[in-house]
Amino acid sequence: MSGTDVHQLAAAYALDAVDERERAEFESHYPTCAVCRPEVAGFRETLSQVAAAVAVSPPPSLKANVMAEIGNTRQLSPLLPESVVDLATHRNAKQRMVRSLSIAAALIVIAVGAFAVGRHSGAGSGYATAAAAVFEQPDARTTPLDKTDAATGAGAASASIKVVWSPSDKKAVVVGDGLPDPGPGKAYELWLVDGTGAHAVRLLDKAEGRQVRRVVDVNGEPTQWAVTVEPAGGVDKATGPIIFAGAV
Amino acid sequence: MLRNALRRRGLDDPVVDDVRDPLGVLLRRAGRGDQSAFAELYDSLAPLLYGIVLKVVRDPSQTEEVTQEAFVELWRLAPRYDDSRGSVRSWAATLAHRRAIDRVRSEQASRDRIEREGQKRPIQTDDVDEQVVLNIEGTRVRKALERLTEIQRQAVELAYFGGHSYREVALILDVAEGTIKTRIRDGMIRLRDELGVAT
Repeated sequence: MSGTDVHQLAAAYALDAVDERERAEFESHYPTCAVCRPEVAGFRETLSQVAAAVAVSPPPSLKANVMAEIGNTRQLSPLLPESVVDLATHRNAKQRMVRSLSIAAALIVIAVGAFAVGRHSGAGSGYATAAAAVFEQPDARTTPLDKTDAATGAGAASASIKVVWSPSDKKAVVVGDGLPDPGPGKAYELWLVDGTGAHAVRLLDKAEGRQVRRVVDVNGEPTQWAVTVEPAGGVDKATGPIIFAGAV
Repeated sequence: MLRNALRRRGLDDPVVDDVRDPLGVLLRRAGRGDQSAFAELYDSLAPLLYGIVLKVVRDPSQTEEVTQEAFVELWRLAPRYDDSRGSVRSWAATLAHRRAIDRVRSEQASRDRIEREGQKRPIQTDDVDEQVVLNIEGTRVRKALERLTEIQRQAVELAYFGGHSYREVALILDVAEGTIKTRIRDGMIRLRDELGVAT
């Protein structure tokens, strides 16, 4: 979709008058577009007013059916901002394939990097050994996290975080590079996102030397990883915006 | 004052913003698993959602089914409601409309398949007129729609209530795709401005 064309779709999209491909394309565009996002919101508000003109009371039995069904329906996690959902939803199959092909390469690079920095990064003497143990697990999977729009500030452009998680080992290695200083009294915090919500995994260090090297315990089955900036003491519930996220 | 009134009703959510959109209070409570709050929300939203789905889907028994799906979706997603992206009514209407559209599109797809296999006409035309002549109530909305050009109004109605994609609308109205995109956009902008929706 060309740059001028895509903005034209806000109205058709709000009307659900686009095909599936256009819908997917537009949904990966408009949440971050200063023109389209407010336009979509305005059109939707408009349409809800138009729709109010055709409001009809449903049969009374519908309420009982709805209430019965919600009683058996799990709610989604409250923390997940749209950015994380969108990242998970819109990562297309091609990217996924490229990603999985690059896992082996990434593993090697991280392993080498881990041994190289483990000794002098202040991450603790056990880091290199613990990281190597995770990498050696056959089920270890690498998730390069995507930067969200909230990742701003000096040097954020070159920042990267990868998480290598082994379900059998119940451990993950967090490898961050080029990370900006989170600010005085702040630190990076890693979150495990699953069907029940977002759980604090571990407060990462202050990214001294712009790096993070940690082996963390993982009790759960993440569907996504997320990283926020939090008070240095750590929090149980995220307060900062998600700056990195990736679907496992 | 408003806050006290809310408190008397047992709606003691401290978020001041919620006062602007009372349904936001209910949705937030529903988002914490409060089923009685959801029941109240249902009462406020049911005519809106059922009306939208009925207009698009037409068939009453399917309309009930789709409306129910929309409400269950609303329940599931309640913890993720973000008031910076619009009012509860607008969000719920969007959910319901999307569900209704998905239903008619998948039905259409299977009908088209059957018709292609039977070597019949590829595009249905019989219900077009009916959909163009929509009986829209509500003086304010009707007046706002009257401010649109004929083609803008038809395009918006065919898309929103008829459930047609802009390409189908272009075919129905016999206008170029590029033109219909512009008409839809112009029509929506005028409608928004006529209804005084803040942007």
